[in-house]
Amino acid sequence: MIAPDNGRNMVIDARGVTLSLGNPPTQILHGLDLNVEQGTSVALLGPSGSGKSSLMAILAGLERASSGVVRVDDLDFGALDEDGLARARRGRIGIVLQAFHLLPTMTARENVAVPMELAGVADAYDRAAAELEAVGLGHRLDHYPTQLSGGEQQRVAVARALAPRPALVFADEPTGNLDTATGAAVMDLLFARYTELEATLFVITHDPVLAARCNRVIEMADGRIVADRRQ
Amino acid sequence: MSDWALAGRLTRRDLRTRFRGLRLLLVCLFLGVGALAAIGSLATSIEGELASRGQVLLGGDVEFEIGQRRAEADERQAITATGRVSETVRMQSMAIRGEQSVPIELKGVDGAYPLYGQLSLTDGRKVSAPPADNAWIGTALADRMGAKVGETIRLGSAKFKIGGIIADEPDRLGEGFALGPVVIVSLDGLGRTGLIQLGSLYKTKYRVRMSEGNPAAAVKTFEARFAEAGWETRTRDRAAPGASRFVDRMGDFLTLVGLAALAIAGIGIGGGVSSYLAARRRNIATLKVLGATSGIVARVYLIQIAVVALVGIVAGLIVGAATTPLLVTLAGQVLPVSPDFAIQPAPLALAALYGLLIALGAAAMPLVQGADVPAAGLLRGAIDGRTGSRWRAFGWIALAAGLLITTVMLTAAQPRISSAFLVSVAGALLLLAALGWAIRAVASRIPHPNRPLLRLAVAGLHRPGARTVSLVVALGLGLTLFVLLAAIRTSLDANIQRTVPARAPALFALDVPRDRATEFSQTIRQSSATAEVATVPLLRGTVIAYGRTRVADLTKLPPEAFILRGERGITYAAATPVGSTLTEGRWWPANYSGPPLVSVEAVQAKALGLKLGDPLTVSVLGQEVTARVASFRTVQWDTMGFNFVLVFSPGTFADFPHNLSATVNMPPAKTGAVMRALLPRFPSVSVIEVGGVLKQIQDVVRQLSTAIAAAASVAILAGIAVLIGAITAAREMRTYDAVMLKVLGATRAQVLGVQAIEYVLLSLIVAGVALALGLGGAWYVVVQIFQFEWLPDVGAVLLTLGAGVAITLIIGLLGSLPILAARPAQALRAL
Repeated sequence: MIAPDNGRNMVIDARGVTLSLGNPPTQILHGLDLNVEQGTSVALLGPSGSGKSSLMAILAGLERASSGVVRVDDLDFGALDEDGLARARRGRIGIVLQAFHLLPTMTARENVAVPMELAGVADAYDRAAAELEAVGLGHRLDHYPTQLSGGEQQRVAVARALAPRPALVFADEPTGNLDTATGAAVMDLLFARYTELEATLFVITHDPVLAARCNRVIEMADGRIVADRRQ
Repeated sequence: MSDWALAGRLTRRDLRTRFRGLRLLLVCLFLGVGALAAIGSLATSIEGELASRGQVLLGGDVEFEIGQRRAEADERQAITATGRVSETVRMQSMAIRGEQSVPIELKGVDGAYPLYGQLSLTDGRKVSAPPADNAWIGTALADRMGAKVGETIRLGSAKFKIGGIIADEPDRLGEGFALGPVVIVSLDGLGRTGLIQLGSLYKTKYRVRMSEGNPAAAVKTFEARFAEAGWETRTRDRAAPGASRFVDRMGDFLTLVGLAALAIAGIGIGGGVSSYLAARRRNIATLKVLGATSGIVARVYLIQIAVVALVGIVAGLIVGAATTPLLVTLAGQVLPVSPDFAIQPAPLALAALYGLLIALGAAAMPLVQGADVPAAGLLRGAIDGRTGSRWRAFGWIALAAGLLITTVMLTAAQPRISSAFLVSVAGALLLLAALGWAIRAVASRIPHPNRPLLRLAVAGLHRPGARTVSLVVALGLGLTLFVLLAAIRTSLDANIQRTVPARAPALFALDVPRDRATEFSQTIRQSSATAEVATVPLLRGTVIAYGRTRVADLTKLPPEAFILRGERGITYAAATPVGSTLTEGRWWPANYSGPPLVSVEAVQAKALGLKLGDPLTVSVLGQEVTARVASFRTVQWDTMGFNFVLVFSPGTFADFPHNLSATVNMPPAKTGAVMRALLPRFPSVSVIEVGGVLKQIQDVVRQLSTAIAAAASVAILAGIAVLIGAITAAREMRTYDAVMLKVLGATRAQVLGVQAIEYVLLSLIVAGVALALGLGGAWYVVVQIFQFEWLPDVGAVLLTLGAGVAITLIIGLLGSLPILAARPAQALRAL
C-alpha cells in the first residue's frame, strides 16, 4: 500500500475489503487495502474478472463489502444500508458507465438534472444546462438519448456525473463503447472537468494511453491488488 | 422537494413513452371492475325498484291474507280501523271460449282497487273493477285465445264480455308465481261465476292504504288479536319477498363470479407489473446509481401503477354502469322487474374499491422487489431482483386481502356461501401455483431428452427465470373456467330435461267436487280410455301449535321449518301416499276411525323437534283440529304428484267442506279432447296443463343458465388476458433463445416447435387438475348455490376441455409469433 502524501486529505480509506457474491458464495475480492488522496486520478487496470468493477462498486457505494472497512469522504460505508448509501452518493459521488445508461424517457437536461434533483438542489435545471454547455452540448438540451450519438450520450453521462460537483468521480470503461477519437475527446473533457472541480477521479480501463494520463495506476488480478504505482 | 413531489416529477418523465407494459393491468382491471360494476348496478337497481315500489307491488301499505274464506265481521272491522281497505279474491281457474280453455289466475277486485299504482288497459284507460258482466283480461290470454275486446269468455258458470286488455297490473309481482295469465273481474262478477264455494281453493286479500300510523305496528296489533285464525300479513317493505331473495342470491352469485374474475385478473396484474418493472430494471438501477432510494423508486412506480389502475377502474365503471340496460334486456324474464337506467353510486364505489384492493395486493410484490433492484447491477451483466424485501410485500398483500375479504363478507347477503367461495378460489390458486412449482422441480430432475427441441422445451420449464408457475396458474385458470362453464351448462340443461319426468301427469285439476270424483274420472276416460286419474283431498291449514309450543308465542320461527310459515296444503289418507316411506312409527289401519292422527314429513318433523305421540294443532277454515303424531316419513318431492308434509288420518276433516285435487296421466295428444269434455260438466274445476307450467320453468332455468354463462365469460376473458400476459412476460427470455437457435441454424418452424412442445406438455399436465377443479366448482354452483341436481355431460365437458387446450395453445403460439420475427443480427445488437 502506498502511503499518503502529507498534507492531503484521504478521500478513500479501505482496509481488509472482501466481497462474496452468489449462492454458493464466490469470493471476488480478497482483503484489499487502499488509500486515495483527494484530487488524485487513479487508473484501475486488470483482466476481465479481476475484480475491478466490484472494487469500484464498493468504493462508489453501489455494493456493500462482505467484510472490511470502507471510509469514503469521511463516511463509513459499512454502517450504511442500501438507501443510506444512495443518500451518501448524492452530491458526493459521480459515476460514468461504459454503456452510458441514460434514462431513455428523459431529455439530456433532465438526465443531468436528476442527481441534483434527488439531492434537493434548487436550481438543478439551470445547473444541468450549464454543465451540458460546458461539455459542448448546449444545443442538445432537449434531445432524448435516442436522438444523440454515442459520443454525445457519453458526454451527457459525464455532465450528469460532474454536475453535482462531486468529491469523487468513478468511470467504468468510459470509452469502451466509443471509437478512438470520440473516446479521447470524452476523456479530455472528463479530465478537464475533474481538475476544475478538484475532485478525485477513479477510472477503470484497459487503455494504457488513458492509464498513462492518471497520477496513479493500480493493477488487479484474481481479486487482489498486484501493483500500485504513482506516476 | 418532498420524495412524493420528486417521484411525481420522475413519473411524468417516465410516462412519456407508451406504458405498453401496463396494458395487462389496464385490461384486467377494466374487465374485473366492469363486471362487478355491471352486476352490482343491476342488483341495486332491482332492489331499489322493489323497495321504492313496495306499496304498488303489494297493493297497499299492509296486506292481510286468508285462505278459503273472507274476513269475519270483527276481523273486517279491525282491518278497516287501520285505513282505507281494498278487498281482492284470487284463485286458479279456467277461461273458456268456444272449444278453447286456458288456465288463468282469476282475480276479483272491489271498487277501491288499486289503492296504489294504476290498473291500465292497452287502450290507455286507467280503470278499477270492471262492471259485473265484464272482465279485464291479460295480454297473454288475449294472444293465446285470439280474443278481442267485446267478445265473450266463460268463467265458471258465467259469461263475461271482454271489457279491455290489461297493459299493467300494478300488484302483479306481489301476487307471486302465476300459473296462467290474469283475468280481473269485480267481486260481484266473481260471485256470478259460482266458483267461490265452501271448500274451494281461493285466497282473500285485504290491502290497506294507511293515512297514518306504522304498518308494522298495525300488523302486530292485528296478529296479536287474531293470532290463530290463519292470517298471513305483509307490509310494503316486504312486498315481494321471493323476488328480493332471488335478487339477493343471484346478486351474490354474480358478485362472486365478478370477484373471481377480478382475482384471476389479479394474477395478470401481478404478472403485468412484474414484467413492466423487469423491463425497467436498468432504469431503476440507474436512478439508484444517481442517488435514488428504494422509497423514491417505489413511489415512482406506485404512481404509474396507480394512474394506470385508475384509468382501468374508471373505464370499467363507465362501461359497467352503461351495460346495465343491456343486461336488463338480455336477462329478460329472469329479472322480477325491469329497472330504469340510473347511476348507482354504492355498487360502483364497491367495484372500484375491489379493483383498487386487487391492484394493491397483486402489484405489491413486484413493486417492492422492483424497487429493491441493486445499483451495483449496472456494473454486471444481469440485474436481478432481490428477495430480502418479500416480507414487506406480504404485509401489503395481507392488508389488501384482509380488506377485500372483510368488504365481501360485510356486503354479502349470504356470507357462508361467499366465504366458501373465497376459500375455494384461494385454494384453487394455491393448488395451481403448487403444481407449477412441482412441474419446475420435476423438469429439473428428469434425465435430459436426446432430441434437442424436446430438451430445450423441458429446460424452458425449469431454467432460472422460467415463468412456469405463472403460466401454469394462467393455463390452469383458463382450463378450469372452460370445464366449470361446460359442467354448469350441461347440468342445467339436464335439469331442464329432468323437469319432465318419465311419467309426468299431463294435467293437474283443482277443486274437483268430492261427491263427483267418480263422474270426473269417467268423463276423462270417455275421451282417453287409458287415462289414470288419481284424486286426493286438498285443504288449506295453518299449524298453530306443536308439542307444547304455540306458534303465536314464538318470537322467531325455527330455521328450515317452512311448515309454520302461513297456510299449507294438507290432506288425509287411508294408506301411505305414493312416494312416501315411513321412517318411524306406524301407519293407521285403513278403516281407522279413532281420534285424529297425523303423519309428518321427517325433515320438517326434525325442524320442529317433534316426537311420536306429540300433539299438533292446525287451523282449517277457522276451526282448530288437534291430532297426535303417529309416524314420520320421507317424501319424494320430485314425482310431480301431490305431496304433503302433513297427512291426517281419514275422517279428521270429514265435516269440513273441501274439494279434491287430481292428477291425470294420459297421452298428451288427448289433452284437448279431455279438456273439452271436462269443462262443460265441471265449470268450477281448474285444469292446468303440466306442459305449459314446465315450459315456464324451463324458460326461467334457461335464462338463468345464460346469465351464468355470460358472467363466467367475463372470468374467461380475464383468464385469457392473464394467459396472454404470462406469455408476453416470458417472451423476452424466449426471444434470446429464439435468436440463438436461429444463429445456430434452427428454422422458424423448429423455434415454434419448441414453444409448442412446452405448451403441450404444460397443458396436458394442467388439464387433469383443471378438470378436477372445474368439476368441483361447477358442483358447488349447481348443487349448493342453485340447488339443482348434479347432472353434467362428461363427454361435452371433456370436449370443451380439449377445445380449451386447443385455444390456449393457439393463443400461446400466436403470442410467440413476434419471437419468430426477431432477426438474429438485429436482436443480437439489442441484447
